[in-house]
Amino acid sequence: MSDSGMEFKSSPGFTVGVELELQILNSRDYNLGRDAADLLAMLGKMQHPGAVKPEITESMVEINSSIHRNHDAVLSELRQIRDAMAQAAERLNVCIAGGGSHPFHKWSERRIYPTERFKQILNLYGYLAKQFTVFGQHVHLGVPNGDEALYLAHMLSRYVPHFIALSASSPFQQGEDTSYQSSRLNTVSAFPLSGQLPFVQSWEEFTIYFNKMRGYGVVGSMKDFYWDIRPKPEYGTVEIRVFDTPLTVERAAQLAAYAQSLARYLLTERPCAPSREVYALYNHNRFQACRYGLEGTLVDAYSQRHIGLREDVLDTLRLVARHAGELGNGAALGQLAAEVEAGASDAGWLRETYRRYNSLNDVARLQSDLWMGRAARNS
Amino acid sequence: MTHLDFLPQFPFPANPLALFGLLLLAGLIGGELVKRALHLPRITGYVLMGMLLGASGFGLLDDKLIAEAWIFVDIALGLVLFELGRRLDVTWLKKDRWLLATGVLESALSFAFIYFALVYFDVKPLYAAVAAAIGVSTSPAVVMLVAQELRAEGQVTERALNLVAINSVIAFVLMTMLLSGVHHEYRAGWITVALHPAYMLAGSLGLGYAACMLALLLARWLGKSAERHLVLLLALIAVTVGAARMLDLSVLLALLSLGVMARNLDRRHDLMAVDTGRIGQLFFVVLFVVGGASLQLSEMAAGGALALVYILARFAGKSIGVLSLTCFSGVRAGSAGLLCIALTPMSSTALAMVQGTADLYPEFGAKLSAIVLSAVLILELLGPLAVQFALKQAGETGEEDRR
Repeated sequence: MSDSGMEFKSSPGFTVGVELELQILNSRDYNLGRDAADLLAMLGKMQHPGAVKPEITESMVEINSSIHRNHDAVLSELRQIRDAMAQAAERLNVCIAGGGSHPFHKWSERRIYPTERFKQILNLYGYLAKQFTVFGQHVHLGVPNGDEALYLAHMLSRYVPHFIALSASSPFQQGEDTSYQSSRLNTVSAFPLSGQLPFVQSWEEFTIYFNKMRGYGVVGSMKDFYWDIRPKPEYGTVEIRVFDTPLTVERAAQLAAYAQSLARYLLTERPCAPSREVYALYNHNRFQACRYGLEGTLVDAYSQRHIGLREDVLDTLRLVARHAGELGNGAALGQLAAEVEAGASDAGWLRETYRRYNSLNDVARLQSDLWMGRAARNS
Repeated sequence: MTHLDFLPQFPFPANPLALFGLLLLAGLIGGELVKRALHLPRITGYVLMGMLLGASGFGLLDDKLIAEAWIFVDIALGLVLFELGRRLDVTWLKKDRWLLATGVLESALSFAFIYFALVYFDVKPLYAAVAAAIGVSTSPAVVMLVAQELRAEGQVTERALNLVAINSVIAFVLMTMLLSGVHHEYRAGWITVALHPAYMLAGSLGLGYAACMLALLLARWLGKSAERHLVLLLALIAVTVGAARMLDLSVLLALLSLGVMARNLDRRHDLMAVDTGRIGQLFFVVLFVVGGASLQLSEMAAGGALALVYILARFAGKSIGVLSLTCFSGVRAGSAGLLCIALTPMSSTALAMVQGTADLYPEFGAKLSAIVLSAVLILELLGPLAVQFALKQAGETGEEDRR
């Protein structure tokens, strides 16, 4: 690959796209199944918008939305893909579920989806590849050029704890309550190329950095960086990767709308310049969000104050309200604010469901009912 | 009175526990040898070890000892049939009607093919029909256990198990209906002709239902605890098998219906899907060793060529049924062919069915044996291999695919 591979494709401003990694469960005890190939084959014969792809293990499947301009369009498409998938899943007697982790599967029972790339990942990373059976939402934000992409990526780093806390839905791992709201990110952190992008300001500098790393043989392509936020030159987007897959498509669309509104605010108002201090505090703030969700506190690099995460999210929602309104995301963010104020969270729902049923099999079953739209959440 | 009277007298009285342990050891060693030396499924090793110890080999396991060991076989069958029943998901059959249709068609065709093939070779129609009914069923134990040994999971595995459940039920219903014919043949009174099958069918289903209700009630009371639910299920399986024997009902139908109902009537999800397989493993080994011991190589001479006809007709019927409808279920190409192969095994349930008829009319049982048992002998050895091949080809085993 030459430098031309790193050319940043320009995107029309403030567009948004969503990728969701989903769980495939058997309908016997609601453990993870291995039916990805059959599910993909069946969906291949059905009419549905967006795209459906394999993921690292046979228990996972990824859905991609098209490029959209606002919340309603995202939600409507996600619902259509979900419904098509639910229909295919029923014919195969499997269930589809959201959530950042499966509550009780054993990673050693997972099998790698047989493609060359995934086999290479297994060879390179060993057991981490199978432990990587966790489920995230990625949000792509369209930007006009590489320099804007880097500005946005650095500015969004300040809000990573928000994204984590709002989507946290992986309190259980391997049959245990982890005490985290999002335990999924601990799994991601084990990879050597995870973390944050280097503190460079221009696309030119970034290309030099990338070529240097490629020259060392550390990476082959941008795909090999498992950063929390990374530029995606071939799509012309900045990709946020810290979200857990939420329990419902509705929450997934809200999260996309939040990120999109925030991006519009940051790119149009340019409230401040990227700061190294954000990265000095980054891991502390990220941990707070993973561990405590909206109950955590973060240290704001710009004001150097301690702020409660819930309060900071609500403040930010007010800050971006005008941009949300102009994008057509006003109602969605209003709903999100109401839920944040009420203290509703996916991780909370999962724990409450476990408390009520005392069985993780039931948690996984109800998690799937929720995703497939067969049950409404009431907490 | 001599000084050595405290010593046991030879021959020693048979002790069921010692027998159980020895059968287990024999099976364990046989299974391991076959696995290590020939890379065949362990089940084939259990059967071979049984044959070696039984009438076809050294004759150590005679009819008396086999009868002594039958209680363990019953427990094993109970566990297998219950688990199989629990795999039959009525909701799935409603969503994918082609799967149900496939099960019915392959059962009907295998019955028809075997029946006409045997009649063509001058077997009396009633015998041919009973033999055909037995041939409809695929051995639940073999498919279940090979899948378990390979830790197989996926569409071919699940569909194969559901088809086995369907064809087992159909085989049983056919057998029960034919029982009238058998009674008639042996000039039993018309009350027997009409009531015996009805008693078997309704009684076995009723027993399964009662056990299921008790299971759900107790499960709710016990709360969600995998350990307690495991004990509960083992207790109910044992009680149901025992009650079916005491009441001269069908162990097969009672346990299968218990499993099916436990899965499909549990609307509140009170019963946990606990894995009885680990404990079952002990009994499964004995099941196949005893199954092997009761196979008679001498039957081969009598059944020989006809057994081959039987096997081919059965395979053809099942395959045409599966191949013509599976494509409508929307599974991946190639799955249908693998399903045909996975449905070949015959074994212990077939034996149990013959056993049931033989108890009533020994002469009839003997005539049937010649045809059916030699086919069972071949398929008991080839069946595990076939299932292993199918599940490996489908890429559904627990081993990482190195291809």
